[in-house]
Amino acid sequence: MTTFHLGADKQATLAQAAELVRDGFVVALGGGLCSRLPMALVRELLRQGRRDLHVVGSAHSIDVDLLVAAGAVAVCEESYVGFEQDLGLAPAFRRAAENGTVQVRESCCVSILTQLRASEMGLPFLPVRGLKGTDILALHPEYGIVACPFTGEQLVALPALTPDVALIHAPLGDRHGNLHLDQPYVLDERFAHASRMVVATVDRLAPTDELAAAGVVVPGHCVAAVVEAPLGAHPSSCYPGYAYDRPHLAAYLAAAAAGGEALESYLAQYVECGEDAYRDLVDAERLASWSASDARWQELFR
Amino acid sequence: MSDGWTIDEWFVVALARTIGDGEVVFHGFASPCAQVAMHVARRTHAPRSLLIEGATYAVDPDPGFIPPTSNDLALHRDAVYRMRFEEFFDAAQRGAVDRMFLSGGQIDGYGNTNVTAIGGMPHPKIKLGGGGGGGNISATIGALTVWTTRHRSGRTLVPTVDFLTDLGHVTPSGTRAELGYTGGGPQWLVTELGLFDYAADGHARLRETFPDVTVADVEQATGFELRTHPDVVPVRPPDAAELAAVRAVDPLGVRRLEFGPRELERTFGPAG
Repeated sequence: MTTFHLGADKQATLAQAAELVRDGFVVALGGGLCSRLPMALVRELLRQGRRDLHVVGSAHSIDVDLLVAAGAVAVCEESYVGFEQDLGLAPAFRRAAENGTVQVRESCCVSILTQLRASEMGLPFLPVRGLKGTDILALHPEYGIVACPFTGEQLVALPALTPDVALIHAPLGDRHGNLHLDQPYVLDERFAHASRMVVATVDRLAPTDELAAAGVVVPGHCVAAVVEAPLGAHPSSCYPGYAYDRPHLAAYLAAAAAGGEALESYLAQYVECGEDAYRDLVDAERLASWSASDARWQELFR
Repeated sequence: MSDGWTIDEWFVVALARTIGDGEVVFHGFASPCAQVAMHVARRTHAPRSLLIEGATYAVDPDPGFIPPTSNDLALHRDAVYRMRFEEFFDAAQRGAVDRMFLSGGQIDGYGNTNVTAIGGMPHPKIKLGGGGGGGNISATIGALTVWTTRHRSGRTLVPTVDFLTDLGHVTPSGTRAELGYTGGGPQWLVTELGLFDYAADGHARLRETFPDVTVADVEQATGFELRTHPDVVPVRPPDAAELAAVRAVDPLGVRRLEFGPRELERTFGPAG
């Protein structure tokens, strides 16, 4: 049972916002693949030493991998974790899955969506097509089978999924927690309505008039805390502000794949340092140069 | 080389030809070859198709280039409309999407794919990225084009997948009909060695090879029982319009990310 978050002022510091996320929480990660990931919150959770998180979502990358690399994740219930053909498999996630240090309950995009919809509607379950015949079912003893009362069709029944918190990064928000997102929203709207609370970061806080004009996608009454965190999705993209930071991602993957001192050194340089120091390490001008021309944009992917 | 072409270009053209004009097609993420192929099809033989772009769910965008990540503004900045996540997956589940592209670290003779784990779960030898939406919508989408660029390794086309992520024609739990699925399942399997269709019993049958590949080469690389058409013919060469479309759509060459370095040395030309 989730309820609205009333109150006029949701503005918080990054530390205060991350403190709302407790050890063992079911955490929905907003954005998708390498776009609009809630990275400032991910880094702050690591600074605070969060443990035993159960992460849920669709297709993700460095958000999950970094949480896993730092030992913050017990259960991973995403539909994909990786860096596509550009940079390949997710090194920390892969290692943890192979060593059994993280329980992988791999899911499917439609399954997660359907479970969130059940939660939004206050229903105990919803049926879904597919999955029968796949080995995904064996990873989910919590799923059931239900017969359609009208046709007898056997469908997989998925229990409602109510994340304890959804972490969402937006380019623009106001102090009431209203968030403007550009498409694709991925699962962020569903996360916002199905979760017990949204904890949000925004690249820029703006007056409510500006939010209303831009369009509010996640309303403030779903949001428990909002933090102004410029470059808060970096090294994933958050257009129009910044594109995907390919060299940073490649450096992270090398460190995570090597593990040990290389990973410790990445964590010291980019996580333990704090967000102010982190932002100083980012070449924001280069990542904003995508809008100058298609040629400049292409250069960011070479 | 001015008149020639490379395997990555030809492979993308072969994928593109599996799209019929007027089809609604989707490729998901981590699929650069399929992604380029959909745009090539729309610019050549399938102008009336409806293209749903990657993890942006944009409808019929015309991007200036394909970036190597599938949720990027570069893929949809000029799109008139973007589906919501749920809007696309609802359409796929109710049977409104005609074709999807699927690949896998392992693919069996019935077109079941494994994108979850080599060695299976819960103790994978290699944990792969995962299946995205395939475990649901491979049941309901009209037809599937399955592809791999790693056939020659001998490890991709296998007798049995270690983990069944996406549904082919026949699973250990039954056929698609027995499972009650409405989607048509795999229609084509395109590899860097050749092209298969599927027999009435749901098993792959070799139909075409690239001209530098023999049936014996294919047999050696194929872990499942190799069935062949009575006459295996060469893959039809790309025409000038198809090659021009590949090069225009994909100036960064993201399609090449799917191939090993030795495969990328394969070049072809009008003289053979």
